[in-house]
Amino acid sequence: MTKRFTRRQFVTIAGASTTGAVVFAACNIPEEEFVVQSPSSLPEDLVRSADTWYATTLASEGGDSVLVRVNEGRAKKVAGNPDFPINRGKQNVRAEYILQSMYHPDRIATPMARRTRGAPLRPISWDAAEAQLKAWVAESGDRTTIVTNPMRGHAAWVVGNFARNAGGKHMAFDPLDQTNLYAAIKRVFGQDRLPEFDIENAHTILSIGADWLGTWVSPTRFSVKYGEFRQGEGRTRGTLFHAESRMSITAAAADRWLPVRPGTEGELALGIAHEIIEKKLVPQARIAAFEAGVPKAVLDARTLANVARTTGVSADRIHEVAEALAKHGPSLVFGGGSAGAHTNGTNNLSAIYALNILLGSVGVKGGVWFNPPSPFAGVPAASSGAPFIEWERELARWRAGSVGTVIIRDANLVYGLPRSTDPAGALANVEHVVAFATVLDETTELADLILPENTALEDWGTDIPEPGPGYPAVALQQPVVGPAYTRDGTAKLSDARGFADTLLKVSGGAAGGATMRDVVNSAAGGLYGKGSGSVKAPSASLFMQGLLARGGWWDVSARQSTSAPALRAVVKDAAADFSQTEPAVEGETLHLLPFASQSLGDGRHAAEPWAQATPDPLTSAVWTTWAEVSRETAKKLDVRQGDRIMVRSQLGEIEALVYIHPAAAPDTISIPVGQGHTRMGRYAQGRGSNVLAILVDKKDAETGALAWAATRVKVWKAGGARKIPMFEGGAEEARAVEPGFPILTVRDGESAEDAKHRFEAGHKVLH
Amino acid sequence: MVQPAQQIAAHHWGMTVDVDRCTGCQACVVACQAENNLPINLEEHFHQKRAFEWIRVERYWEGEFPNIKARFIPILCQHCENAPCEPVCPVYATYHNDQGMNVQVYNRCVGTRYCANGCPYQVRFFNYWEPVWPEALRNQLNPDVTVRSRGVMEKCSFCVQRIRRARIEAKRDGRAVADGEIQPACVQACPTNTLVFGDLNDPNSKVSKLRNGRRAYRLLNDALRTEPNVYYLARVDNDEAEVAHG
Repeated sequence: MTKRFTRRQFVTIAGASTTGAVVFAACNIPEEEFVVQSPSSLPEDLVRSADTWYATTLASEGGDSVLVRVNEGRAKKVAGNPDFPINRGKQNVRAEYILQSMYHPDRIATPMARRTRGAPLRPISWDAAEAQLKAWVAESGDRTTIVTNPMRGHAAWVVGNFARNAGGKHMAFDPLDQTNLYAAIKRVFGQDRLPEFDIENAHTILSIGADWLGTWVSPTRFSVKYGEFRQGEGRTRGTLFHAESRMSITAAAADRWLPVRPGTEGELALGIAHEIIEKKLVPQARIAAFEAGVPKAVLDARTLANVARTTGVSADRIHEVAEALAKHGPSLVFGGGSAGAHTNGTNNLSAIYALNILLGSVGVKGGVWFNPPSPFAGVPAASSGAPFIEWERELARWRAGSVGTVIIRDANLVYGLPRSTDPAGALANVEHVVAFATVLDETTELADLILPENTALEDWGTDIPEPGPGYPAVALQQPVVGPAYTRDGTAKLSDARGFADTLLKVSGGAAGGATMRDVVNSAAGGLYGKGSGSVKAPSASLFMQGLLARGGWWDVSARQSTSAPALRAVVKDAAADFSQTEPAVEGETLHLLPFASQSLGDGRHAAEPWAQATPDPLTSAVWTTWAEVSRETAKKLDVRQGDRIMVRSQLGEIEALVYIHPAAAPDTISIPVGQGHTRMGRYAQGRGSNVLAILVDKKDAETGALAWAATRVKVWKAGGARKIPMFEGGAEEARAVEPGFPILTVRDGESAEDAKHRFEAGHKVLH
Repeated sequence: MVQPAQQIAAHHWGMTVDVDRCTGCQACVVACQAENNLPINLEEHFHQKRAFEWIRVERYWEGEFPNIKARFIPILCQHCENAPCEPVCPVYATYHNDQGMNVQVYNRCVGTRYCANGCPYQVRFFNYWEPVWPEALRNQLNPDVTVRSRGVMEKCSFCVQRIRRARIEAKRDGRAVADGEIQPACVQACPTNTLVFGDLNDPNSKVSKLRNGRRAYRLLNDALRTEPNVYYLARVDNDEAEVAHG
């Protein structure tokens, strides 16, 4: 018999039970009898499900390896692979989003095609789609271009082979162009791959422009190292200086943040070099080595006073950094991000990396280590996108009707390229546009043939981490789940296939093998043949099993030898530009600093609701586009938190909501990249603004890379306001309630109790 | 269910949070949401201040531009020994178990929200709505964790399902749970190793050593004597005075 209680009756009875317990307690009932354990059987108590954890890689920024929990054929959780030397069991905030990409309600279900340009999409079979793709590529031949995200490993190799076989080309697109980073590394160190930064063993670090704890290059790996740099066992706490025009989470983590004027980062590096040399803080041999690459006249002009005036960083601070780097080694200097995104970006980054020569930080513990070339001949191990100038040229070809077929995969050109290039207009003049995608975006929706693509959890492949750990390392990708089905199991969520697998099939195997699984098996055979590394097995098949179980292969015995290269031509002539000097157009008073969102990245994660709902670390804003301005600027514009403003450059305007940021420099406005999609599924569409759309088409003078941090804008009050969705409370700046609460700070060697007493002695009451 | 006295206090779970390592990256926040079936926080939930984060990262400003610093601190249920949320619950939906954890029994909860009112750390979340996921996204839900319904309070459980699983596996293998074997989702994800979880009863566990270190302190404990089982390790900053005074 069941008796029904109303909620109110239940509360009443339960309240009476509580009273009873109190009465009994007064009668000296043994205390343990009141330890009330839950008799209920919640899922947490039952633990009945059987799990399998598969190691794979997500083709993410740094090439992390992860373990994916699979339960009854469904992917449930992503966790860092503790075996893998890059991320050592850890993950960054974006790793879990792959689960929502896999089960996204707006995944493209089947191949689709249009009868004619502009006609509605209609479902077609995979056989028909592949036949169409094959025919178009055969028809276009050397007028074929494949456009992808920056790729590494065997999928990149297959794409390159496919393009070459057709006589066409493969171009990678990175909206936040990093060409200058690779150019500077080549110029200073003579290396094609990014070097390893030995953060955890450094004592003093100066980083410039690169938000390496947030979004730059390999944030999981760098964060693991940062934790050790701060509080690793058996070492003294390291000191971090970070120069960046905007306060990123790396700037927030620094012991000293140097808010450098945008475009003058190279000037700051040279000023530090000047101070080290003038004060003779390092041995003469190193000074001579440095001066071999930097003309004396260039250095002589970079006095403390001059550099302080140009960069906005005080002379005292510059001296402090110079002294710490020189005296408290091992020291390490690196940079990227916004520091390289100016018309003088390559010069800026070259000056920054050259400081390692002056400090004797190349090939030493706590310094810069070179990485070996790809462990597979011909397989890409670096993942830079093509420089912007090449995109301008390529799109001009499209516009002229010189390209027959464009195949696009995970490269949202319409969203990410400056408007001056008009990617949509250029695509309109391409005869055949083919797109691989999981969810339709602004570019793929323009395609004539749309092919649903697997997520990283459903594909075979390899990745070569960038930067590597100083020795060869490969991450292995395997399908950890089969196709996603609806929950009742009656239909596939998406009849998706692998991008590289499709190219292999269409090429009849000529692009590298029959399937990606064969390609990966063959690659594993190559590693097995080396007879060294992290997996040892008596046969090739057992070796492959070992690779799959461990998530990859690495060989610590094959560390790349590193020595300081002879420094040549860091500065090509004395007139080289180290501070951006373009005059602002009249009325464009603020320097626009677009920045990669911690959760949305460059916009590629905008479709996933977890990404939309992850608070920005500094503002806690979510689901929208905000513009960070200083109090001073807000006062000048007569705006308050949440007011709508218009931000206009020479190429267009967008709307944003004002966020008054206590750490914003008065002459800057910072806007996150990632929102403003007109497509990309229910969670991204029609939300916020796309800051990339108003970037001007300035380029680095040497490489032609997009100077994406070199736009100046006019800003005005648009009228109206909207509350910014944020996790934290009101518009008041959150400050400590009183010294030491809730975040207690201690001085080196001081205990928490001593710090509390210190605060109390300062006539503050600490609770 | 009353436990025999000899079984009490075999483990006492706790966590340390090294604020000096934390970068505020939010990896812990998303890992927790994926593990514990937290509802999707839509835009309107933030406007209503009803977004769910069992662990959140708070950011505090110190100083003024250009000598300004942003400090981060992850806040989760402190699993207090003297938990203000426990005695106010009329139905024992929240109680202290014998392993040092503050536990929430969802199918006892009748939604009075007294516990949330009593919690000084603001780490309890009330389901004002039935959580909704599009059908496809439900594939990702963790079968080990209850999907809470409307009218129920919820909070960080130290990923109790992982603790249960590890203890069952250890028992099956006839061994003790090893230090570091149990990692709540936030601890596992944290790329800087800010978070460390373990058995405070084991003097050799990493978490015990850290909480006995010189930088350890507990939030609000001096004032409220809540005796949290989450210990914070102070941020190191030698020029804090300079920043404070701009």
